[in-house]
Amino acid sequence: MSGVNLSGIVKAYGALQVVHGIDLDVQEKEFVVLVGPSGCGKSTTLRMIAGLEEITSGDLIIDGRRINRVAPKDRDVAMVFQNYALYPHLNVADNMAFGLRIRRMPKAEIKTTIDDVAEILGLTPYLDRRPADLSGGQRQRVAMGRAIVRHPKVFLFDEPLSNLDAKLRTQMRAEIKRLHNRLGVTSIYVTHDQVEAMTLADRIVVMNDGNIEQVGTPMELFNNPANTFVASFLGSPPMNQMKGTMTATGATVGDAEILIDGASAANAGRDVIVGIRPEHVTLTAQGPSSALPISLDLVEPLGSEALLHARHGDNAMVFKADTNGDISHLSGVGEVHVPSHLVKLFDAETGQALTLGA
Amino acid sequence: MAKDTPITAKSDSTGDDGRLVRLYDHFRREWQIYLMLLPTIIWFIVFLYKPMYGLQIAFKDYSIFKGVANSPWVGWEHFQTLFSNDSFIRAVKNTITISFYNLLFGFPAPIILALMFNEILHASYKRTAQTIVYLPHFISSVIIAGIVITAFSPTVGVINAVMGWFGLDSIYFLTQPDWFRPIFVGTGIWQEAGFGSIVFLAAIAGVNPSLYESAVVDGANRWQMMWKITIPSILPTILIMLIIRIGNVMEVSFELVILLYQPATYETADVVNTWVYRQGLQSGQYDLAAAAGLFNAFVAFVLVMTANTLSRRYSRTSLW
Repeated sequence: MSGVNLSGIVKAYGALQVVHGIDLDVQEKEFVVLVGPSGCGKSTTLRMIAGLEEITSGDLIIDGRRINRVAPKDRDVAMVFQNYALYPHLNVADNMAFGLRIRRMPKAEIKTTIDDVAEILGLTPYLDRRPADLSGGQRQRVAMGRAIVRHPKVFLFDEPLSNLDAKLRTQMRAEIKRLHNRLGVTSIYVTHDQVEAMTLADRIVVMNDGNIEQVGTPMELFNNPANTFVASFLGSPPMNQMKGTMTATGATVGDAEILIDGASAANAGRDVIVGIRPEHVTLTAQGPSSALPISLDLVEPLGSEALLHARHGDNAMVFKADTNGDISHLSGVGEVHVPSHLVKLFDAETGQALTLGA
Repeated sequence: MAKDTPITAKSDSTGDDGRLVRLYDHFRREWQIYLMLLPTIIWFIVFLYKPMYGLQIAFKDYSIFKGVANSPWVGWEHFQTLFSNDSFIRAVKNTITISFYNLLFGFPAPIILALMFNEILHASYKRTAQTIVYLPHFISSVIIAGIVITAFSPTVGVINAVMGWFGLDSIYFLTQPDWFRPIFVGTGIWQEAGFGSIVFLAAIAGVNPSLYESAVVDGANRWQMMWKITIPSILPTILIMLIIRIGNVMEVSFELVILLYQPATYETADVVNTWVYRQGLQSGQYDLAAAAGLFNAFVAFVLVMTANTLSRRYSRTSLW
């Protein structure tokens, strides 16, 4: 079982603690994405798994073995770096063979391995080229090839797509996903891009300020964020969050009342944060919902849909609406309808998600 | 409805006129940079290009009373004199031999030092070591020569004192032709290797740290990382410095030779520059000295061109 287990992992630089005792269990063959804002500790965590950073305390277990003090080369992990880390003086084949030569693999075996992996990654025509003669996407593939030839137990990816343009990033994202499905190697992937996290992950780990905020499948996190941080981090645009007060049937936001499934008199009067996903509102009432009056600031057309920037009292919010090829009908929108079963509630003080009727 | 407007090139921005306009615009936009460049250009003109006018005396029977312009032409006569002069031929051979030793031992020294400094992990130890090896560069060559002369002195020199502990006879090193070159090359390394290592340290600092991290994950040790990452990564810098060094092959440190040599060691110590100094300034043969200097410059030019061409062809690295 080549799973990865982190138990109470702490990283401190002197008195400054940057990772505060995180626990995470990555299953064999699982693709786990660590996501969070810059400085949240995700790359540090990955580097601790790789052995590039010392672990201050806690246990790191790979394949059932505690490897806190094991040298990086003996951890049987391969890492793909943000800037590819390709050796500029070596051609593609030699870059891919670097780790194998260090490990004194027989030449014939190295050649077979390189040829096989180059074939998988579509790099066969470029084996004699140096990194400077390759495009960004090709360099990225070489970086992955160098990791794959090692046949490691665990792949570690440190923001590998962040240097690519948007189009190439989408292509490479799909390639990484296909490759993972084909190779089935346990993978831990770090990114600050929530779209990458949502599309690639079997499970997402949302990190913030050195702590894990929530772990779950992409849809679990999207549909049931554990707190306001996760709610605001996943989703584009992020979830609208407005201060409100619970009533027997829902919550008041400004001078409007929003119906919420499960609301009862027991919670009435409680201060909450009401969360509404931009894509969950409709322009006309559909099923049980409540109308939220808005004053429209701006309409941003995106093609098939548009972003409506609006205000309700002091609350600024963004909603998504279908355009059907025309945005003229959106300029007169004065209210949106919020389905009662899709409204999320968070505690006003702690920011933790509230479950009504539980 | 806006009318479709055909896109056409402006007639005044094409051809020679266009180039002039662009040049004018460029100077108007960047004049501050050219103003800053001006002192350097003036320096080059006054001290490097204007003196070239005087090079013609290498082909004239120069008389200080007639001046450069009025001295009669003598063609290649001075060059024929030079190449039939045993002491000049000896000086050329000595220059090339000392430069070869300098290249062989003196060129790798700063690279090795830089690689060693790069491996030192203890920051304050590293800083102290660097300061110690940089120091001789800032000491005047006269002082350096004084230290060397004293160190190798047969009576008070530390070298002879150490030899005396082992029962060896004292040697007057600086009067022995066989010892001049090792002492001269060694002194040069001691004086300049540390300071020269700064260029290579800067090149090493520019190597992407993730290359080393990637190699660590791949299982490379420090020795392998030095050979497989550091040295190949700084190779372009090494080649550039080598080309510059080859261009200076005929410029053996004049000051240090003058300070360390004596008639007893001319056999191995007299180089082209010291020969020119003695013939040109001390004996007043300015035309012959100019011919020797021109020959020196020509050889250096050919060497640097050849080195640059070879480097560009085989390593894609060149000065121009």
